[in-house]
Amino acid sequence: MSNTRSHFHQDLEDLERTMLDIAERAERMVGMAVKALTGKDLDLAQQVVREDQTLDAAYLDAHSRWINLMARQQPMGSDLRLMSALLHLNVTLERTGDQCVNIAKVARLCEPLPASQRMSDQVIEMGDLVRPMIRTAAHSFVRRDADEARLLPAMDEPVDRINRNMYREVVACASDEGLLEWATHVMMASRALERIGDQAVDIGEQVVYLITGEFEAFNEDAFSGRDETP
Amino acid sequence: MSQPQTRTDAISHRSGDGVAPPRRPDDDASGFAISTDDLSVYYGGFQAVRRVTLGFAPHEITALIGPSGCGKSTMLRALNRMNDLIPSARVEGRVTFRGRNIYEAGVDPVQVRRNIGMVFQKPNPFPKSIYENVAWGARINGFKGSRLEMDDLVQQALTQAALWDEVKDKLSDSGYSLSGGQQQRLCIARAVAPSPDVLLMDEPCSALDPIATLRIEELMLALKEEYTIIIVTHNMQQAARVSDRTAFFSVDVNDEGGRTGRLVEFDDTDRIFTQPGNEETEQYITGRFG
Repeated sequence: MSNTRSHFHQDLEDLERTMLDIAERAERMVGMAVKALTGKDLDLAQQVVREDQTLDAAYLDAHSRWINLMARQQPMGSDLRLMSALLHLNVTLERTGDQCVNIAKVARLCEPLPASQRMSDQVIEMGDLVRPMIRTAAHSFVRRDADEARLLPAMDEPVDRINRNMYREVVACASDEGLLEWATHVMMASRALERIGDQAVDIGEQVVYLITGEFEAFNEDAFSGRDETP
Repeated sequence: MSQPQTRTDAISHRSGDGVAPPRRPDDDASGFAISTDDLSVYYGGFQAVRRVTLGFAPHEITALIGPSGCGKSTMLRALNRMNDLIPSARVEGRVTFRGRNIYEAGVDPVQVRRNIGMVFQKPNPFPKSIYENVAWGARINGFKGSRLEMDDLVQQALTQAALWDEVKDKLSDSGYSLSGGQQQRLCIARAVAPSPDVLLMDEPCSALDPIATLRIEELMLALKEEYTIIIVTHNMQQAARVSDRTAFFSVDVNDEGGRTGRLVEFDDTDRIFTQPGNEETEQYITGRFG
């Protein structure tokens, strides 16, 4: 049977492609934000803010296209689940962009202060851990691969662990007032990276919903001790 | 309540992605393929449609929607003088096509209908072969070409109507041998055979099943590259799916029960179905009135 809704399906594909572009931009922004913070690069921090403005514009455009498709095309079945997933992805990735801006703001606050190499290394490690998570989330979405999406909670665990231990690093900096101020700010960046990891996991949940039609909570043990992060 | 927009408002209003469709040399100087100016339609002393001013942009699909009795089909038929066939019908105002009022003295209504074709609610093929159904459209419009040229024209029209592949091996079969959806596409082929500028479609899918309906909708989206399409539909979702712009009509009922249609709102279809400017439109599309 021929496709009787080829125009709608083309629009849907275009929207999905836009979402992948947004994911790619968000992932790039994470790298830039971490580098701006740990390398004390204020120009790069400013660039993150500009990138976020572009991301926000893409988010608004995608949202408007989403609304129009929803109003006009009455999606059904897997098309409806895809629309639902796309709405979640759009909001989630926009928030990822916002978290990158938070890290860029921390970079600005930290620039004049003395830094701890040890903590910087941990932030770099967190960035190196969450960027592949965004890639995995986007890839599993494109490939409609639930098994790949289910890898995300395990990828998120070391990120949570580093974030949980970060306060100890802050305490270790307590003897130097400047260093303590720096470490306190960096803790916020650590928290932002931890949230970005969670957001990639959220996308993975949407991928499973898209494929199976069932919602599968990846972090259902969040209150049973695995992740104590508030 | 806001007034219906003027023609100038309508064309300047949110023109989608801002890319103007290619102009044909015969487009009206106004930029419209066809337009109405203060158009009223009467049946005897009774006013069926009141003072509608609307412009239809070339190579777009415009949907006319509204509750029963709002005059949308009357309005559509006024666009190619189909109402002339009803003895008591008369119009006031103008319908401008290629810079000329089609109701002006000296205009040949048959020529008008050649340039502004129509597809009806119920598929109405002639009791003739598939080939002859299409050839007829061209022949009555003075086609004088050879048999080979006619073959080409029939093939082209059937291809445009997305029917060629299904009927190319049985062109001499009766038009009645086709399914409802195929018959409607045959009628579309017959309507495009004389190469009109504008295609009027009066609820073209209301007699079809959902799949045949979606196929006609896909066909319309392809046909707008060549033609300007104006469709009347009871199916609001269909208007949402296929049209670039939507005109919403409503109806006033007088003390004697007479129903007079009027244009309430005309805008980009995106806008009409997500954030209409008029409360009456909002009530209709959300199912709170109508």
